[in-house]
Amino acid sequence: MKILPKHSLKAWVERLRATHRVVAPRETYGQYIFEEIENADDLVLDYHTSVLPPKKYLLPPREDLFAFNAKTMEMSPLIEEIQPTVIMALHTCDLHAITLLDKIQGTGHTDQHYQARRRKTTLVSIECLKPCMDHAFCKSMGTLAVPEGFDVHLTDLGDRYAVDIGSEQGEQLIEGLSLFWEPVEADYDRVNQVMAGKWPNFDYRLDCDVTDLPDLLAASQDSALWDEVGDTCLACGQCTKVCPTCYCFDVLDEIDLKLEHGKRIRVWDSCLIEKFAVVAGGHNFRSSQARRLRHRFLRKGKYQFESYGLLGCVGCGRCALSCPAHITPIGLLNTLAERRRPATEEASSRS
Amino acid sequence: MKPKVAFFEFTSCEGCQLTVLDTLQRHPELLEVIEIVQFREAMTERSDDYQIAFIEGSCTRPSDEEKIREIRTQAQIVIAVGACAHLGGINAIRNRMPLDDVREYVYGDKKDWFETYPARPLSAVIKVDAVIPGCPIDRDEFAMAVTHLLQGRMPAIPDYPLCIECKLTENVCMFLRGQTCLGPITRAGCDAICPSCGQGCEGCRGLVPSPNLGSIKEALRERGMTEEQIDARLSLFLTYQTMQMDGVTPA
Ligand code: SF4
Ligand code: SF4
Ligand code: SF4
Ligand code: SF4
Ligand code: SF4
Repeated sequence: MKILPKHSLKAWVERLRATHRVVAPRETYGQYIFEEIENADDLVLDYHTSVLPPKKYLLPPREDLFAFNAKTMEMSPLIEEIQPTVIMALHTCDLHAITLLDKIQGTGHTDQHYQARRRKTTLVSIECLKPCMDHAFCKSMGTLAVPEGFDVHLTDLGDRYAVDIGSEQGEQLIEGLSLFWEPVEADYDRVNQVMAGKWPNFDYRLDCDVTDLPDLLAASQDSALWDEVGDTCLACGQCTKVCPTCYCFDVLDEIDLKLEHGKRIRVWDSCLIEKFAVVAGGHNFRSSQARRLRHRFLRKGKYQFESYGLLGCVGCGRCALSCPAHITPIGLLNTLAERRRPATEEASSRS
Repeated sequence: MKPKVAFFEFTSCEGCQLTVLDTLQRHPELLEVIEIVQFREAMTERSDDYQIAFIEGSCTRPSDEEKIREIRTQAQIVIAVGACAHLGGINAIRNRMPLDDVREYVYGDKKDWFETYPARPLSAVIKVDAVIPGCPIDRDEFAMAVTHLLQGRMPAIPDYPLCIECKLTENVCMFLRGQTCLGPITRAGCDAICPSCGQGCEGCRGLVPSPNLGSIKEALRERGMTEEQIDARLSLFLTYQTMQMDGVTPA
């Protein structure tokens, strides 16, 4: 652990900007979006949540894959120059989401574009000391503490930050800088105090245990709740666009008017829009909004856990905040848990 | 051989045709790949030998129908350009009112001098092969539509809601800004230009294929809109489509 006095934060960020693109949250209409900071004075570390998660720097909403010439039938790679990037002030939920994405994009057919960006990205996270918003349920999901594999993690101690270094890449951001002090006994005491003090600020909002989610969802496949919620869902797809763990994309070709120079691009897709599961021939194998919603929740709470050992939801609450129909994971999962209970009680009273 | 293209207008403001002109200025190469043989707003020459017809405007008079059918007979491909041709447009607002009242309101004691009937999209009169939605249309989408036609396929327009594009642009949702928006039920393709400029969407690109009208009304109600205001909001561009959903098609 090191100590960074708050008055040295700007100097540190200016140093980083000499060698890196530094991105951080910026306020707009009461929300925050991650953007490159042009001046260390613009830095905001204290924010609630961002509209799009910082995954956009690893998996951009629109990304060129390759260029082609339709006349000569030649293809050329389009690897854009990737600047070394520091993402500032990630919350631990978003860090957990990146841990999951790292796993997904690094398993099987590894995603070269993701990997290239990831290698050049260093994550500076910050400890949340109070819930970012009412919709957050990170404590229930176990994402309120820093995951393994962080780079640099900050904890606000009032007039200074405690700085934990979790990787070599992180080490490089502070190496040899006299801005960072060695901690003294009182700093450790302060960290313990802050960390112990923060937990009561957060509620457990999920009524079942997080480890029970895959079973709960498996038992709820035929629940009538999917139809009920499906009736109110607008299929607007916002919940998936803002989710830090969603990674589905669609692939499109663009070509100029002379039908010669084109490029293949990919764009974030969404399993909640009507045509997502339409296959060649026109069949839609998830033909109702209820089935599409069920798919999304099973994916977050069951399938990804089965495939990667990590749940696909980190409890950030962005989907709940965005949903014009107020469909929230907490509301939905707690209702499923409540509806399962009588059946379980019945079963146990029989045995 | 360059395809021969003609432009026509019916009841409309000609804003979409102006957008076409603007697209021609931005993409002069368009003229290298298509041959425009008729375009009243842009040229004097006029030929009825064309393969592709772009039609702006809605059909608002029985006598428009014959001309529209003539175009259909001549053209191999007919494309509805803009909200009027695609949806009946704002001309269709009147469809929910008694036609006689409308005539009186507009023409006063001369109401019997003019021919009119409920406004309708082109597709209510003839088979339309494709649409370029919007009020006005989007320049890039027009260029893309031409590209698709040159490739021998019909212009593909998004079939998902505006919210998708709006979130890719990372706009703060109008609902979170205390305003309202029809984005969740409106077809994407304009890059969410209105929310990007701080205005809720008015639905000029028409409804998505399966809009959840009940839920959008509830969302508007929650923001304090009265039933009257909600109906008005849904009638600016969506009168014809919402009436159709209620099973009403004007004679
Ligand atoms: S499902 Fe919702 S709460 Fe969970 S990670 Fe995604 S956006 Fe956050
Ligand atoms: S969900 Fe929890 S971890 Fe994520 S930003 Fe909010 S408070 Fe922090
Ligand atoms: S944000 Fe809400 S209404 Fe929109 S698709 Fe997601 S669950 Fe449905
Ligand atoms: S501003 Fe409108 S289009 Fe954008 S996300 Fe919100 S509801 Fe959807
Ligand atoms: S945001 Fe809505 S009203 Fe504005 S141009 Fe797009 S579809 Fe039309």
